[in-house]
Amino acid sequence: MNSKTPLAAMISFALFSTVPVYADDLSDLKAEIMQMRDNYEQRIAQLEQRIQQTETNTQQVQQQVAQVKSAPAPTSIQSNNRFNPAISAVLNGQFSDYSNDPDDYEISGFSLGEEAGLAREGFSLGESEIILSANIDQLLYGQATIALHDHEGETELEVEEAFIETLGLSNGMTLRAGRFFSPIGYLNEKHLHAWNFADAPLIYRGLFGNQLSTDGLKLSYVLPTEQYIEIGGTVGNGDQHPGSGEHNGVGDWLAFAKTGGDIGTNHNWQLGLSHWQASPDDRKYSGGHAHGGGEAESVAFNGDTDITNLSFVYKWAPQGNFKQQNFTLVSEYFYLHDDGKLSHENELATYDGKQYGGFVEGIYQFSPQWKTGLRYDWLGSKHRASDGELLEDADLDASGFHPQRYSMVLDWLPSEFSRVRAQINHDRSSRDDDTQLMLQYTISIGAHGAHSF
Amino acid sequence: MKQLFMGLLLFFISMAVQAEINIFACEPEWEALSQELGGDKVTTYSATTGLQDPHYIQARPSLIAKSRRADLLVCTGAELETGWLPLLQRKSGNRAIQNGAPGAFMATDYVQLTGIPSQLDRSQGHIHAAGNPHIQTSPIMLLTVAKALSERLQQLDQNNQAYYQQRWTDFEQRWQAATLRWQQQAESLKGLPIVIQHNNWDYLIDWLGLEKVATLEAKPGVPPTVNDLNNIVKQLKLTPAKVVIHAAYQSPRASRWLTEKTGIAKVALPFTIGGNTSSTDLFKLFDNTIELLLDKSK
Repeated sequence: MNSKTPLAAMISFALFSTVPVYADDLSDLKAEIMQMRDNYEQRIAQLEQRIQQTETNTQQVQQQVAQVKSAPAPTSIQSNNRFNPAISAVLNGQFSDYSNDPDDYEISGFSLGEEAGLAREGFSLGESEIILSANIDQLLYGQATIALHDHEGETELEVEEAFIETLGLSNGMTLRAGRFFSPIGYLNEKHLHAWNFADAPLIYRGLFGNQLSTDGLKLSYVLPTEQYIEIGGTVGNGDQHPGSGEHNGVGDWLAFAKTGGDIGTNHNWQLGLSHWQASPDDRKYSGGHAHGGGEAESVAFNGDTDITNLSFVYKWAPQGNFKQQNFTLVSEYFYLHDDGKLSHENELATYDGKQYGGFVEGIYQFSPQWKTGLRYDWLGSKHRASDGELLEDADLDASGFHPQRYSMVLDWLPSEFSRVRAQINHDRSSRDDDTQLMLQYTISIGAHGAHSF
Repeated sequence: MKQLFMGLLLFFISMAVQAEINIFACEPEWEALSQELGGDKVTTYSATTGLQDPHYIQARPSLIAKSRRADLLVCTGAELETGWLPLLQRKSGNRAIQNGAPGAFMATDYVQLTGIPSQLDRSQGHIHAAGNPHIQTSPIMLLTVAKALSERLQQLDQNNQAYYQQRWTDFEQRWQAATLRWQQQAESLKGLPIVIQHNNWDYLIDWLGLEKVATLEAKPGVPPTVNDLNNIVKQLKLTPAKVVIHAAYQSPRASRWLTEKTGIAKVALPFTIGGNTSSTDLFKLFDNTIELLLDKSK
């Protein structure tokens, strides 16, 4: 308080000493200075009051903050199972009804692998999957998917995926090794149970026998750009259909690029392009007719095969809030080119084959627990061989028929861990039209996995 | 070709020169807090908006690109982002933001959560094993997180330590004063009987001393059935409530139904920044929340 008097004195001194002073001005100035002093005192008093108030206030809030307990220290219990990986299981069952005999199912112009057929009629247990995943150490993440399915009365165990992957290698690079779903198409990288329909698109069924996996390495690189751009490639052993045979070095390779982004908050999209090449060694065609009794020998292909894929995904949700309502559009196109030789018993023919096709599917989730969707598949093929008989033997004789299929699906989702699905297909994979009905449940128990876009 | 090369070179150089901390916030409240504490030494991005359910976010391409360039993740943690964040961390190929790295900041690591389920069973709905993660509804919790976040910024960017320290002190003072003001304003709300739609208001209820009478979702995350709602109507006859509360990102259907049935007031609280047009920063978020509650409790 005392400090103000000298301050005022100094101010007055400064004013008096520099300004020429007249008597009546002097009194004016004095009054003015007195007023200033009053102002100062008032303000300082206010400030002091405020500081005092803030201090008490602050103390109150600080007390409250102190009451917020910090997270409890982790209890150290000596038990090894605390490091168990995340485990989840996906179970599903299906009831199917077809107007044609599913054993006669074929896709004109395509040769189907063993698993590519339809699920059996009536009740059947679909694929049961067990998924294990965890960070292995500071560098690596690991994941394995073991699938169990019935095949001709026997339960088969299949390692669908088993890979290790770097955790933030550096600068957007990720390296993966092991068996993994090949990044050849949008749906190919997703698990069967994450698909929007109960069965694979016809082109997936026709080219890969549902899905293509790679045993090998995958390197991907996310560019440091504002726009999402990812490029990468894989090398594999080349034995997965439509590859075939044992290769000592690199049996197949693939290069891919993806980009995508948002349009406002309501729209997201992704575009992908990939190219795969392999040199199949004795790829067998499932067809094959016995010549004059005895065991039928399959037609085999030797040569070069490449596949190009273009995929597009668009998602919409009002305000980007997917929980309430959303719409997804997926479309993919594949083009396969075979160049080589067909062989059957003692016959040999040069062969040039093209198989192509795609699908468009739209899924509308109109409430948190319900969604419905439509899908259209179309395929085409052109086969040329120096000996037409071999084409016939390989079941590749399409003669201009274009397979098509229309599908409709309705899903009820009691929670994010369960789904009941009804699907109906009008399938014209071959000249015999087929109506297919599928009722299916799919559930997931255990760890809550993250789903990619 | 040469031009392209030069362009790329310049691009990378400009990226190296840009010294700001690039923050990827999972929710808008953490973006706002990062902005308060980091000022112009940080650039921020929020993966979600106030009108999106943070449990259900797509790990979409733009988020991969953003997380790849991030120096620091500021997220809620406690399994709120379990459906999408782990995927972004893996796909980003970004070492800085992996779990345990200084660039991964989880807000719920710094406060003790309530509502930890005694039994983990999914028949009880979408439960969070680590406890209720929606801590941003209490300014007290928020201040605790802010202190930890400021320390993290100072650790990551030691050249600007004094700057962050000064911003923290400034924020702390303003926030404490504001908290007190809100508490005074909300004095009359103490004991206000409310119905909530989803269990995401625990910390607000606790802070303001509200009285939770019922929850519309009998099981968290599962839309209430007609039966559940009828039970609540019955319950409200015995213990009446004044107002039913839901977050702006949630469907108002169940709350509206209850309002029509019982005549109690209904209010959509912003829940986070951007939940409504008034909630543009952290201070306004609580200003608006208190204002809406006071308005409806009359």
